[in-house]
Amino acid sequence: MSKFVQFLEEKVSNPMARFAEQRHLLAIRDGVVSSLPFIIVGSFFLIIAFPPFPEDWAISQWAAAHAAEILIPYRMTMFIMSLYVAFGIGYNLANSYKVDPLSGGQIAVAALLLTITPSVVEELGFVMPMQYLGGQGLFVTIIVSIISVEIFRICKQKNITIKLPPQVPASVGRSFEALIPVAIVILLMTLITVVLNINLHELVTKMTAPLVTAGDSLFGVLVPVFLITFFWSFGIHGVSVVGSVARPLWEMYLTANAEAVASGAETLPHVAPEPLYQWFIWIGGSGTTIGLVIAMLIFARSKSMKNLSKAVVVPGIFNINEPVIFGLPIVLNPIFIIPFVITPLVLATIAYTATSIGLVTPTYIKAPWTLPAPIGAYLATGGDWRAVVLVIVNVIISTLIYTPFFRIYDKKMLALEQQEEE
Amino acid sequence: MKVLFVCSGGMSSAIVVDTLKKEAQKHGLDLEVKAIGSSEVELEIGGGWDCCMVAPQIRHRFDQIKKQADEAGVPCGQIPPQAYSPLGGKALYKAFTELVNK
Repeated sequence: MSKFVQFLEEKVSNPMARFAEQRHLLAIRDGVVSSLPFIIVGSFFLIIAFPPFPEDWAISQWAAAHAAEILIPYRMTMFIMSLYVAFGIGYNLANSYKVDPLSGGQIAVAALLLTITPSVVEELGFVMPMQYLGGQGLFVTIIVSIISVEIFRICKQKNITIKLPPQVPASVGRSFEALIPVAIVILLMTLITVVLNINLHELVTKMTAPLVTAGDSLFGVLVPVFLITFFWSFGIHGVSVVGSVARPLWEMYLTANAEAVASGAETLPHVAPEPLYQWFIWIGGSGTTIGLVIAMLIFARSKSMKNLSKAVVVPGIFNINEPVIFGLPIVLNPIFIIPFVITPLVLATIAYTATSIGLVTPTYIKAPWTLPAPIGAYLATGGDWRAVVLVIVNVIISTLIYTPFFRIYDKKMLALEQQEEE
Repeated sequence: MKVLFVCSGGMSSAIVVDTLKKEAQKHGLDLEVKAIGSSEVELEIGGGWDCCMVAPQIRHRFDQIKKQADEAGVPCGQIPPQAYSPLGGKALYKAFTELVNK
């Protein structure tokens, strides 16, 4: 058993965790994460535009009459999130190469903008289709941000730059140093978009369509759910590893759902944006440890478990479970790893089914992850009370699965304590 | 003394901040402890810290954080898993003293 565990840790878990720390993946992760405040704040304007109240209330009628104006802050943030992400990826990747991060961010933004062809509309002048700057354009954003910053840093490292004498102020010198790489990037993107007339967005959307469909299937939900608790079983932050790879896809689903709501669609296209995981599966933290915490509070007989239960309950309500994971511990503890892996898989299946058959509105709003789950679920679904019911059902199931395992462990601890007293 | 705690987002390490402070007070030591996320290390590490302690769940990022800490001349070590809990005060304090007395 211990040899098998050691094998899994050394040959599977650790290499995968290190892979997620690869430079470009890290830049993508930090770039996407840097856009989250804009997505969270922007998405809340969707709740204001479509408040969860009866239609005949004055506030609902006011919102319906002004929806387009109310949604402007959303349109300029979440709706064009790729613009923010491009800067974030460019900044972080350049920073990781120790070349000027500001130039890196700017070059990535230029590369993204040059994937789009503006058209002239009478009275308005130049207009460009905003949807390519949204979640839909995220894959293109990732690709062009990385390529453009790579060009930038290679020029820098091979000294293909215009150098000014040292007497010139640093900020002036810096802008001259970026001149040649910027020219290369802009010429390259112009060649693709204007000369060859290639629409990168349509091309990449076609190529990634199978991936986008797969990630939104039940299997596509169960895989990351399993991997996250798998990593945590060795004490590695699962979401931070798996999220590095999966988050662009999750953000794409979220923004597509938000766009559908903003345009007044009846049904939402995606089941599995990140809030589905956050509020229905990771309740109390990865592994749905809220059920374990409740089982501890009700059934703990041993002194150590009683003490620990009091210390972990408040963080648990706010979805922080490192105290349980390391304090109990769950890490490398054969008794708890079983429910820790199984519970989220069961709850994911329930939440996925309930959402896809229309019992619960798919999530389309991003709320801060430290909110208690019923509140977060209510907000994330734009005020669907059935989401709160689903959270409660899942908490009860999680408690039922964890209880027998906890009682076995508690008995062991009690026996140990009695031995020590004798 | 000033101690920097690093975890994934600065949330979970905030919980053990008080654990270390209380344990240090028992030994008559007043600590200033700050919890941050791993992406903030680069900005924070130059802030005159006496040591930098990295949470167990991001140990796959330890080498990279240690490099940044080494460049800033701040002793940097991992928090043992069993110390990373509200009840792990003793083990946490032990890890802290071992790190600063190296």
